[in-house]
Amino acid sequence: MGSTKTVLIVDDSRVSRMIARQYIAGLHADWIVEEAATGEESLLKARQATPDLILMDVNMPGMGGIAAAEQLRQEFPAVPISLLTANVQTASRERAAAMGIGFMEKPITEARIAQLLATLEAA
Amino acid sequence: MFQLTELENDALIEIFNIGVGQAAASMSAIVNEAVRMSVPSISFIPRAEAARLLGSNDAVPERICGVSQHYAGAFETEAILMFPEDKSLEIVRLMVGETVPLKELTEMEQEAMCEIGNIMLNSCVGTLANIFQRELQGSLPRYHIGTSDEILNATSAGSQSDSVVLMLHIDFVLEKHQIHGYVAFVLAIAALHDLKDQINLYIARAMGQG
Repeated sequence: MGSTKTVLIVDDSRVSRMIARQYIAGLHADWIVEEAATGEESLLKARQATPDLILMDVNMPGMGGIAAAEQLRQEFPAVPISLLTANVQTASRERAAAMGIGFMEKPITEARIAQLLATLEAA
Repeated sequence: MFQLTELENDALIEIFNIGVGQAAASMSAIVNEAVRMSVPSISFIPRAEAARLLGSNDAVPERICGVSQHYAGAFETEAILMFPEDKSLEIVRLMVGETVPLKELTEMEQEAMCEIGNIMLNSCVGTLANIFQRELQGSLPRYHIGTSDEILNATSAGSQSDSVVLMLHIDFVLEKHQIHGYVAFVLAIAALHDLKDQINLYIARAMGQG
């Protein structure tokens, strides 16, 4: 098993954050999970917690997930970011690819979370 | 009254069939249970008639909880997902699991229903956008409780006098839980013509003319 990692979940839905947290804890009980409910809050949390992975919802009040991801990409270029969104449109996937970030569609399932965490497990 | 040719109607049903199939897959992943969905039946009717039809349908309860999202882009529509109000807590329980206490579950019911609506509506609408090769921008989900008439009226497009409801009736059947859900798309007349244009572009591409 690799070292302890910190994952930042950014989603305005408390239920989605709770479900993602449950799956991460089930897969890696020793990992730290931080939460943010808005894009603005994600910037503050990322500066405090220095996460190893950021899971970012797109459709949120305020600055939204894309703008937050762009800013986080500039501030933390080495930290992998993945959109975790209900927006399954090709345009969204292409936007994520152009930004150099991951894309995972909702609903959040254990298999999808496991796939996202797999990249960190070996590190 | 707005009309489609036989070919346009056939293409529309096929496109929505694919969209609904994606929504069914999403619903199944949310509740962790097999979900069967009927083939959608589609009709274009005035908003007032849609409310009356929903209200007079024995299978549709008087009180409904609805989640709506406004979409703009290739065409403009208000998509509404409706469930019986007395089933919403059961759906949320299926989503979050048995370990969450009832008090907490009740507190998060509205938010959880919004997220379910967000996932299902985006799954369906996103698939339509991909088929049309256009982007549709969605708003944040809004939660409603009331009669079908109240919910249709509460949406921005539904309050417009010339709005037409593209009534897409879907019967959700969960293996263990008999839960019926309904999806409606409300479009103004101008948006119906935009939708028709998109269908014709799709048909042209399908025939190798696009």
